[in-house]
Amino acid sequence: MPLIIFNGSPRGKNSNTTLLMDQFIAGYTHGNDNQAQVHYLIHTKDADKNMELFQDAENVILAFPLYTDAMPGIVKHFIEALQPLCGRSGNPRLGFVVQSGFPEPHHCRFVEAYLQKLAKRLGCEYLGTIVKGGVEGIQMMPPNMTRKLFKTFYDLGVFFAKYNAFSSELLRELTPRENMSWLRRTIFRILNLTGLTNFYWNMHLKKNNAWDKRFDRPFA
Amino acid sequence: MKILILDGQPDANDVQYAGYLRQLVQRLRAGNHSVTHTIIREQSIKYCTGCWSCWWKTPGRCFVQDDSQQICADTIHADFLLFASPVIMGFPSALLKKTQDKLIPLLHPYIQIVHKECHHRKRYESYPKLGLLLQKSPDTDAEDIKIITDIYDRFSLNFRSTLDFTMTTEQPVEEVFHAINHL
Repeated sequence: MPLIIFNGSPRGKNSNTTLLMDQFIAGYTHGNDNQAQVHYLIHTKDADKNMELFQDAENVILAFPLYTDAMPGIVKHFIEALQPLCGRSGNPRLGFVVQSGFPEPHHCRFVEAYLQKLAKRLGCEYLGTIVKGGVEGIQMMPPNMTRKLFKTFYDLGVFFAKYNAFSSELLRELTPRENMSWLRRTIFRILNLTGLTNFYWNMHLKKNNAWDKRFDRPFA
Repeated sequence: MKILILDGQPDANDVQYAGYLRQLVQRLRAGNHSVTHTIIREQSIKYCTGCWSCWWKTPGRCFVQDDSQQICADTIHADFLLFASPVIMGFPSALLKKTQDKLIPLLHPYIQIVHKECHHRKRYESYPKLGLLLQKSPDTDAEDIKIITDIYDRFSLNFRSTLDFTMTTEQPVEEVFHAINHL
């Protein structure tokens, strides 16, 4: 039976979540007959179909970006469609992937608590949550900057294929620190003064001829 | 005080919930507060698509012309924003979360260190204080309320505001009124 992955990124296929899960799937299917199916939650009209896929699966991974400190609205819409399955016997094992633009994993820990409770509410075996911060912008990073991150997600897939679990060692590799050290915060503050920390946003603002409007307050 | 209530109840037939909210609005108005009660299910709001147009094409404004534009305007002019919703699967409704996602244009994409963490820079001078009013479901327990409160507390940090309370519709309307009135 294929691994069912629900991709809860509001950007759908063109998302950072997709890039990470592509690596996971490559590892999961390498050198074996494993299969993985990805379903995109941006198609909110498919909620009932997705609920049926969920109830028929053995292993499910729900992956999404952190949005206003929780799951995106489309993911909550999907979760509400699962309500009839609460406490039913035979629900799948359930794991999660939460990625965030903020560098610190700490931002994701609060929704992680919700996800753990969600698995319990559904009566699913909880497989854990892969948390990764600092993901915004990986689409435009050169390969040498994403190689280690992609390799870790690939290895998580390999491990999952063998043990139906997330490797705690690899999870620790993704989140060596919960918060930024004093030194890193100081460096960030200095770089912030030079504008370097805003490079990604400034590049897009300039590309879209919106640089002069960057501090606009249209609702003031 | 200018108060905005974002009401995420998806069920138009829940008369108990509707009656509670109606009484609360009446009590707040009788207390000389200006109240906007926005029932989200009656609004036309598209899901955020993560295009970041609101940050790098039309700074401060969602590219999509839907009712979230008025909600953003009402939010930034409010002194207090009350998120009201039933708890569904351990969290406020998808309707409310969808609307919350559309408040992203009110913040700036630039990052600053706040309380030793990375958070978004403010776009506006000030933001409304926040409160949570939840209608429990039969399966809602104290752990659910704590998880929700913790997440909205985090949201308030990013929103450069404070979460002043979490209350439930099990509490008398007068208690919720007092919690708001004493802010």
